[in-house]
Amino acid sequence: MPSDAIRAALVRRLHVSSGISEDDVKEIESLPISVRQFPAETPVVRDGERATNCCLIADGFCVRSKTIASGKRQILSIHIPGEIPDLMSLFLHVMDHDLITLAPSTLGFISHDTLQKLHRRRPNVAEMFWRDTLIDAAMFREWIVNVGQRPAPSRLAHVMIELRERLRIIGRVDGSSFEMPLTQEQIGEALGITAVHANRVIKQLRQEGVVELQRGRATVLDERKFLELADFDDRYLHQSPIL
Amino acid sequence: MPRFHFDVHENGRFIPDENGQEFVNAEGARKEAVLTGASIARDAFVAGSAHHVVVDVREGGTPCMKISITLEVERA
Repeated sequence: MPSDAIRAALVRRLHVSSGISEDDVKEIESLPISVRQFPAETPVVRDGERATNCCLIADGFCVRSKTIASGKRQILSIHIPGEIPDLMSLFLHVMDHDLITLAPSTLGFISHDTLQKLHRRRPNVAEMFWRDTLIDAAMFREWIVNVGQRPAPSRLAHVMIELRERLRIIGRVDGSSFEMPLTQEQIGEALGITAVHANRVIKQLRQEGVVELQRGRATVLDERKFLELADFDDRYLHQSPIL
Repeated sequence: MPRFHFDVHENGRFIPDENGQEFVNAEGARKEAVLTGASIARDAFVAGSAHHVVVDVREGGTPCMKISITLEVERA
């Protein structure tokens, strides 16, 4: 993957969410990034590890998750190209959760040292990344509401629409269909239900003509029903700098 | 590790588990079946779409356990 392609999704996302300037784009495009390929379901950085880099997803999908003593895992968030899911490790050095690839992924590692220097040189970029981590926190709030209060079919619809709206920003929605490379078990882990219950919910949404999820791809069958079921309000994604 | 399948019946409706999952022992499968039944029942009972949820556990092709959850509402 050429090196500008690695930064392209990040820059595209920052354009939409923060209105990045051309000078700042140049700064980001000249950042030294070491690129590595990761297979699916591979830890990038583990709970308890001391991080010295931040990881930019150039291609692929990752999740942040936490595993409790019994071995049960909660998926906390899903991450897509252009995102830096462990940006907080710049200040919180010891990881308090895992970052794991879902699908085969191309990841770019930027050293903490490089990012700190960039922040000092370009306060605007620091503000943009600050805004980014705040949006991250807004998404976690929404996930708590989702898992704590909504019935399972609504939980799934909500997580799906959130993913779609974020993929849309980087041009990865194809009409009514988008990538969602989660297994039934992983969907269960994101929704706080078992894999068998997740299977039942996926089937229900298909039978009711709402959305179809097959082989890692989602296809919306009825947009109105989908939005209604999800109880989705995109305000928490803060996808425009003027809002 | 043995592979278990969890078929769900909600009222009369049957949802087969084609995939199955591996567990160290039958106790792990029991916990999974109870969690599955309870979480399906939670939604279905509140929505009123069912009042009886059954999880049939198979080990390979052989039935090995059945979890049954019924809602009873008594109005005064």
